[in-house]
Amino acid sequence: MSLKLLFRVLAALFGWLCLSAHAAEVFVICNSGVQIAAPEIKEVFTGDKQFAGTLKLNPVDNGPLQAAFLSAVLKLDTLRYNMIWTKKSFREGINPPPVKSGDSDVLDFVRKTPGAIGYVSSAPSGVTVIQKF
Amino acid sequence: MGYFRSIVQGGAFLLFTGFFVPVHAESSAEAKIKALEARLEQSMALIEQLAAKVSQLEQAGAGVREVQTQSARQSAKIEQIEQHVASLGSGVARHSGDVGLPLHGFADVGLVKSGEDNPVFGKGPKGATVGTVSLYMAPQFTERVRSLVELAFEVDAGGDVETDLERVQIGYAFSDAAIAWLGRFHTPYGYWNTAFHHGAQIQPSLTRPRLIDFEDDGGILPAHTTGLWLTGAVAAESGRFGYDIYLGNAPQINGTAVGSALSAVTTGGFSPALNALGAAGYAGSGTLNMRQAGSDRHRTSTGFNAWLEPRFAKGLRIGLHGLRTTVVDDSADANETRLNMFGGYLTYLGEPWEIVGEYYRFRNRDLSGATGNHGSWAGFAQVGHTFGAWTPYARTERAQLDQDDNYFAVLESGRSYKRSAFGVRYDVDPKAALKVEINRTHQDDLGTAGSDSYVETRAQYSIRF
Repeated sequence: MSLKLLFRVLAALFGWLCLSAHAAEVFVICNSGVQIAAPEIKEVFTGDKQFAGTLKLNPVDNGPLQAAFLSAVLKLDTLRYNMIWTKKSFREGINPPPVKSGDSDVLDFVRKTPGAIGYVSSAPSGVTVIQKF
Repeated sequence: MGYFRSIVQGGAFLLFTGFFVPVHAESSAEAKIKALEARLEQSMALIEQLAAKVSQLEQAGAGVREVQTQSARQSAKIEQIEQHVASLGSGVARHSGDVGLPLHGFADVGLVKSGEDNPVFGKGPKGATVGTVSLYMAPQFTERVRSLVELAFEVDAGGDVETDLERVQIGYAFSDAAIAWLGRFHTPYGYWNTAFHHGAQIQPSLTRPRLIDFEDDGGILPAHTTGLWLTGAVAAESGRFGYDIYLGNAPQINGTAVGSALSAVTTGGFSPALNALGAAGYAGSGTLNMRQAGSDRHRTSTGFNAWLEPRFAKGLRIGLHGLRTTVVDDSADANETRLNMFGGYLTYLGEPWEIVGEYYRFRNRDLSGATGNHGSWAGFAQVGHTFGAWTPYARTERAQLDQDDNYFAVLESGRSYKRSAFGVRYDVDPKAALKVEINRTHQDDLGTAGSDSYVETRAQYSIRF
């Protein structure tokens, strides 16, 4: 009985390790002029926080990494995220973040755009990493 | 003897084969060698041919491998391009602000069977219905200048299509705490009016609570205001605070007509001026007009909404709201009433529960007559619970409206009532909802017609895009 239990625990641990090994890393990044804290990331990407001081924030989504970002950082699925933005747009007249085609697009945008915030799958340079998930 | 003979014969045979066979073998060997040489040459030629063929085949194999490699590379490239196009497509769809104007909207159709039948409001509708098609867009011109335009096509009770410029707002965002809008907007009282409005698909129930219905649909409050609106929200340790402050054109009550159905069934119970008119009165004949083009009898409307979303209860919002305006009607008496509304509301939208409750207290003052102040109240509470794609809900509503108050007396929708509604919402997919609702309404203040209770059943299929 104890061997079975041990086997199950090891199997679960192995499975968890395998999943962990395959989970995508998400680096939330911002333009070097943006001052923002990790707990504010969700507010930025759901439209509740549009300014950092006097600076207008410009969040962008990363198409291939969006599902991993929503799950790991915002704790939302795509449907819920889209619904939040439908209501936000209808009620407050603001639009959801534009979707970029991949890491290089996001990096390029974040480097060049004041107030830009995005996320990429590998450690970037030339931008500020707010937090790695 | 016989044995000896056999030996001799055998020896003779051996001698014969020993001497004569080699001679014969020499001549046949040459022929064989020639034949073998010929065959060898043929074989060599064959080998050369085979070698050539093998070489050809090897070259062909290398070509196939190269083709396969190229094909794999092309497949990978196609996949990359597909992903890129999908991402670009998604991006364009979600933020065509960069390349065009995003247009969104709501639409709904349905069925209704109403049992309403009384001398004041007549018979209720039955049959298939077309609801509202609402189109909206939110172009942002710069980082701070924004706009919101909504156009609604509604089908009225008579079946005619009406077009409303629901919202035309142009705003400027100073910060999260201060966004100023100018234009026509949804009046920010309570939660429901700004949260759902014409968005049938995002509205949790099929019908709106009657007391906050649209002006031309039986509402008792101006659902729209034309003027200036300052709104904002700030996050703090304890939660998120938000506010709305607005001022704009005061609504008027238009469309009053003598000999109204309500006056015909009750000649008393209103203000002295209206009572004196008896059956020729105009009680219950007017509707609110938001005066979006201003007015030659301009009055100002002001209001506020303040709310808190505490961090300790995610999904909860508690708010206070108020509205103060002066309403003039277009009757011969030109009644003028100071409308004072104050109330509160609570929403809890944390899955799986959806709870919305709003309360409105009125303390209206007769400015043109001598009837003084009048107290009324109205409110509703709705509770829904989500089970996957299904959300059953229940709602109770009540309005206790003073008929001596000219504001309610003159309004077509100013009668007291009670309503209970039960329904279920089924999310067909994220952008389509099917709802069925049954409600029972008890209608008061119908004068000698007494009261009327009726049941109404509705079904609705709504979409957003």
